[in-house]
Amino acid sequence: MSTTAAMSGAEPREVESRDVSVTVFADRNAAYYGSVFERLQKGELPFWHMNVAGLLIPWVWSAWRGVWLIFWISLALDMVGLVCLMQNFKYGPLLADAHLDPSANAILIERYTRWLSVYNNVGIATLILGRLLIGLQANRWYFKQYSKWRIAVRTAHGVQARRVVIAALILALVAPITLYRSTQQRIDERACFNQVRAIDGTRRLQSRYGVTEVSDLTSALADRRDRLVTERATLEASASLTDDQKGRLGEIRREERQLRREIDAVEDYKAVSAKDRFDCLFIDDFPTLARIDPPADVTYRRVPDEEAIAQGRRGATKVITQVKDPVEGRTVNIFTYTAESIDIGINFLRAQYAGIFDAMTNVLRQSLIRVEVAFMLTPWPVLVGLAMILAWAYCGTGTVVFVGASLTFLAVFELWQIAMQTMALVVVATAICIFVGLPVGIWMAKNRVANWITEPILDVMQTIPSLSYLVPAVAFFGISQPPAVLATVVFAIPPMVKLTALGIRQVPQSTKEAALAFGASERQLLTKVELPMAVPSIMAGLNQTIMLALSMATISAFIGAEGLGAIVTAALGDAQAGKGLLAGIAIALVAMVIDRILKGIRSSLSRI
Amino acid sequence: MSVVEVDGVWKVFGDKAADAIAAIRNEGLGKAEVLDRFGAIIGVKNASFTVEEGEIFCLMGLSGSGKSTLVRHINRLIEPTTGTIRILGEDIGAMTPEVLRALRAEKIGMVFQNMALLPHRSVRDNIGFALELRGKDAYHRAQLADHALETVSLHGYGDRLPSELSGGMQQRVGLARALAADPEILLMDEPFSALDPLIRRNLQDEFLGLSQNLRKTTVFITHDLDEAIRMGDRIGIMNDGEIVQIGTAEDIVTAPADDYVADFVAGISRLKLVSASKIMVAVEKHVARHGPIDDARDYPAARPEDDLDTLVELSTGTELPVLIRHDGNTVGIVTKDTLLHGLQGTEAP
Ligand SMILES: Nc1ncnc2c1ncn2[C@@H]1O[C@H](COP(=O)(O)OP(=O)(O)OP(=O)(O)O)[C@@H](O)[C@H]1O
Ligand SMILES: [Mg+2]
Repeated sequence: MSTTAAMSGAEPREVESRDVSVTVFADRNAAYYGSVFERLQKGELPFWHMNVAGLLIPWVWSAWRGVWLIFWISLALDMVGLVCLMQNFKYGPLLADAHLDPSANAILIERYTRWLSVYNNVGIATLILGRLLIGLQANRWYFKQYSKWRIAVRTAHGVQARRVVIAALILALVAPITLYRSTQQRIDERACFNQVRAIDGTRRLQSRYGVTEVSDLTSALADRRDRLVTERATLEASASLTDDQKGRLGEIRREERQLRREIDAVEDYKAVSAKDRFDCLFIDDFPTLARIDPPADVTYRRVPDEEAIAQGRRGATKVITQVKDPVEGRTVNIFTYTAESIDIGINFLRAQYAGIFDAMTNVLRQSLIRVEVAFMLTPWPVLVGLAMILAWAYCGTGTVVFVGASLTFLAVFELWQIAMQTMALVVVATAICIFVGLPVGIWMAKNRVANWITEPILDVMQTIPSLSYLVPAVAFFGISQPPAVLATVVFAIPPMVKLTALGIRQVPQSTKEAALAFGASERQLLTKVELPMAVPSIMAGLNQTIMLALSMATISAFIGAEGLGAIVTAALGDAQAGKGLLAGIAIALVAMVIDRILKGIRSSLSRI
Repeated sequence: MSVVEVDGVWKVFGDKAADAIAAIRNEGLGKAEVLDRFGAIIGVKNASFTVEEGEIFCLMGLSGSGKSTLVRHINRLIEPTTGTIRILGEDIGAMTPEVLRALRAEKIGMVFQNMALLPHRSVRDNIGFALELRGKDAYHRAQLADHALETVSLHGYGDRLPSELSGGMQQRVGLARALAADPEILLMDEPFSALDPLIRRNLQDEFLGLSQNLRKTTVFITHDLDEAIRMGDRIGIMNDGEIVQIGTAEDIVTAPADDYVADFVAGISRLKLVSASKIMVAVEKHVARHGPIDDARDYPAARPEDDLDTLVELSTGTELPVLIRHDGNTVGIVTKDTLLHGLQGTEAP
């Protein structure tokens, strides 16, 4: 016995007999669960075996025992069932109304009756079947949790009243409002907006008139109207009016009209019931009806700096700031506010760092031109031959045939030169991706903080729709090729970074340890162990990056990138399906050719 | 000056290591309680030992007793929670990264239990790895690597990848890698565990010869007591992170420190291990019991350091007890009775 205890070494926990551990795990009613688990392990548990508590009170049971998955599933199932049944409250009154005049409302009556019966059937079925499902699954899930607990001690186990309280809070938060919502008709789209306007307007009036109570406001407005009415009456009563008085009369009429609107707004405000407010706040749209003042309307422009030029600095420029007056009374929602602020920020950066952006654009344009020239001036037989030799060297004859056929397709349809433009863009973008992505990936693998920063950024970069990249690219760099390259880089770089980091991270600890034991420095560890071992992963990343770059190169035709994508966008504009289709096939073929050849190279590498 | 000095080393895995050590010291907590209370795992518990130049020091113990963890401290792959380690008199805990790297590259070779070969490099490049790190040129690297390959009888496998070799062959590559750079100190974590008995024996002999000729200081881990006895000048026995006994094979077999060690050595043949001096009975005691020694008779004689095997040989074919003589004096007597008890490891009455 003592020997086995010492042998187990890693984790001397009290698990030698299962019954003991089940007692610790289940706490209450351990004998029952002990036997259930045992039968489950022996495969003797019949499929109809049912946990009665799971059937009758699944929320309480699962919360008490900390089987949260069951809690959520049973909550969801029960809510779906109840919501269906709640439709009775929604359509019941409508049906009753319709029955007042059965002949005129025959269609309505038929429709409501059908809906209600469907809802009732589905609701009852969901409730019953859902409960049966939970009852059947409860012990099986509980056993899974038990197995998990035996590995990870922190897994929820035992019974806790605290968890039941948490569950009750969740229920209180979720159930009433959901059920209430399901009994209500849809709120009119404008209703909530008008409500906000009425509330807003009344607030403003309250501050203008310096009153806090709405009733005071009403009387103040009424007073003012009375005064205006009296004054108008006196003026209209007099036979002849001076010009001054005529002017005053017009003014009074205008004021009266204004006043009437204000009184209406206050009436609207008073008509807003607590229920309306509640509905608008909690069951309609998310309450983003907040209105705030827009950001100051600032424009930054770079203009020649006369002073500096006068002092002899030729071509000197400076940034000037122009502020427009805010539009009176304009309030915006948070979305607009943020969007405008971003615009202003971009505008500022663009003006302030014009030199940098122009320089970047220039570098990109120059390198693009070089690569483009290389691709377009290399005679096509050379490139075709090269591709086929690569395919032959690294892949099978099948791929050689495929590559040949694809390139023939490009040639026959006279898409060769255009395809080469796309290729140039892809090559430049991929090169940038490698030069930036590789070090960032290494950094990310080595540094926890870097990982913490980079990971979410990469996730965002991958999830933002590719079209959205084009907008800021245009904002900073204008249209044409260079911003297209940048948008492509941003779109295509995440796999490069992520797979580099992954490849480095998955180098086994023991291998690194061995390298260190023989005196490797951090740098040697990286170059002699980690990077070589990460090569397959990095190559996979490169492959993905190239594919993404190709797809983005197509899309960036929208901002004036040349190449196959331009044909597609043009075809889109003119609704020329055939043209677009052919160009699309050409893009797909280019992608597949690159993919096949790269895959071949990769697998020949990983054979090492 | 000892080549390796390990002094009061503790290694406790977990966040609350310091608290755990204090609690173990003050309250004598066991492994399970420490895990319970501090979520900490004891790897090494207050280990101290020294290894002299040219000595082979065997660490042995059951699986999980902390042998690998302890040996990783010697080249500071693991930082001790407390305690110091000195290599050639220098505290490696105080070394700068560069000095430590130089020490690892030039003075210490290591064989890993799980081989830990670099999968993307050929066997030859694996063996030459340490040399490459030191900036040795490719030609000499290849020569030294081939030489090391020959030592472990893997001649001709230099251009294979590790994945193309069997487990035992890989282990030998690991050994060759440690030997190739000709370090003074060798740390060997179960280097022969995956080998068949024949090759293991060959390599053991090979290695013994090597370390005698080149005076390599070795810390040798094994969980096989026979191997420990064959290889080790001294043996340290570990249990649950603690070194429970250090001594020569004979010390350990004849005087196990506790039940754990006794359990360990129970099945070991004492014939070649135990010397006459350990079992002999003092002359006076013998005389008191059996009467005086008749000097006229031709008693067989042996030296105190002769093993039981020799004594058995001497005893067969005569009725007489064996006299143990040292510098011309009889220092003890071994009767058949004593001898049988000695073989069994029980105390003579
Ligand atoms: N990185 C680590 N984190 C936590 N615990 C560890 C770690 N490394 C080792 N241990 C623990 O330290 C103890 C000793 O492990 P070690 O690997 O030194 O054993 P060993 O004596 O070499 O066993 P074997 O003969 O099986 O190789 C074990 O209980 C193990 O669980
Ligand atoms: Mg080990």
